[in-house]
Amino acid sequence: MNTCERVKRDLVAFLYRELEADGMSFIRAHLASCPACQAELETLKLTLEGADSLSPGLQEALEEVDWNSLPARIVDRILVSEARPRRRFQPVRIFHFLLKPVYAGLLAGLIVGSMATWLALRNSVPRQPRPSRFFASAEFLENVDLEIARRDTLDYLEKSQNLLLDVFQSSSQEVSFFEDPAAVLRTQDLLSRKKYLNPQLDKLQMSKAKEICDQIEILILELAQVAERLSPEQMKEIQGLVEEKRILLKINLLRKELAENEV
Amino acid sequence: MDSTQAAEHEKISSLLRNVRQGDRSSFVEIVSLFQKKVYLLAYSYFKNREDAMEILQETFLRFYQKVDLFEEGRNFQSWLLQITKNLCIDYDRKHYQRRRGQECSKRVEELNVTDERNSRQERSSDLKVIFSRCLEQLAERQRMIFTMRHYNGLKYREIARILGISIGTVKSLHFKAVQNLRGLVGPYLGMNHEHL
Repeated sequence: MNTCERVKRDLVAFLYRELEADGMSFIRAHLASCPACQAELETLKLTLEGADSLSPGLQEALEEVDWNSLPARIVDRILVSEARPRRRFQPVRIFHFLLKPVYAGLLAGLIVGSMATWLALRNSVPRQPRPSRFFASAEFLENVDLEIARRDTLDYLEKSQNLLLDVFQSSSQEVSFFEDPAAVLRTQDLLSRKKYLNPQLDKLQMSKAKEICDQIEILILELAQVAERLSPEQMKEIQGLVEEKRILLKINLLRKELAENEV
Repeated sequence: MDSTQAAEHEKISSLLRNVRQGDRSSFVEIVSLFQKKVYLLAYSYFKNREDAMEILQETFLRFYQKVDLFEEGRNFQSWLLQITKNLCIDYDRKHYQRRRGQECSKRVEELNVTDERNSRQERSSDLKVIFSRCLEQLAERQRMIFTMRHYNGLKYREIARILGISIGTVKSLHFKAVQNLRGLVGPYLGMNHEHL
């Protein structure tokens, strides 16, 4: 966003003196040298003069009322309608201290009863071992798990990379990426996928992938939470951070390694 | 909080404690302290004395009913104006048809504030009507924020507390409200198209 766009965005706050001192000074200095922003300011002032046309009416409305006697009338009307006693009635509280022993007893009874039932049923019904139809060694099963983890991680990395590239691409345009409902759904989908992926990333062979995926998750979470209020400068700052940490490069390298099965 | 604000805060806390005990005079004093602010907010919203009075009464009724729920340490004015704001919105939705019926006799095309042939009084009256109608066309939150800032003189911080949103959102919505008003009012004020 260039200076004029930034100034125009703050002109209304400037007119109402809602900016900090340095913000006010900055805009004054800019207006002194920018006819376009000055013209913009004048049209806003003209609009607000229209708003002032309603102000005399408000002042008249205030003067019409008898403010001295009104409070007593309001209070009397309310007290009559509510017909409250002098001492306010305290409703029975569900968690009153006198009821605590009752709740404690109920809770203890539930726990003891549940445990007794479980013990009784567990011992009475002998478990039949399921006949196994298939035999697979532990090593084979572990390899299958690892392969699934590898493929899911590749998919997550690819989607995350596309999302980040789309976010940074849209930062140069007027419309924010997160204004699109589909974009919000993508973000939520990625965050859900990561949660599903977490147990798979706990494997020793996936430790490097886990570190990078965790960084991606934190970044996407922050973007999703603050994106609506993010100014273009802040977006550029985040973009700079991503470039500094080389997150996109790391994603590329990791994808390559996973594809070659070298995690 | 400076000493004046602290003293005021303590005074209000004391009055509230008395109101909870059923003290009528403390209740009257609370109403005296805040009646104008509540009325002004309601009147700015509806531009109608009867509706504003009804909201005023209803606000203090709700206050009395919920005074036990008010937490010490919170800003009382914000809490009270929040009640007023909610009542204004509910009332507006319920009586929307009735509000729309309160139109002036002139059609929009007949209103022209830039025509020098009309008397100054006529132009002023037309501008009031135009602006009032344009204000009604704003989205609910934008209208509320614009009204609170421009007519009630509440700062962004206070508005944010009343509406339960961030100051940045208040600033952004206020900006959009003024821009939209400019777009709506602009043609009647003879503004160039490029500025709308």
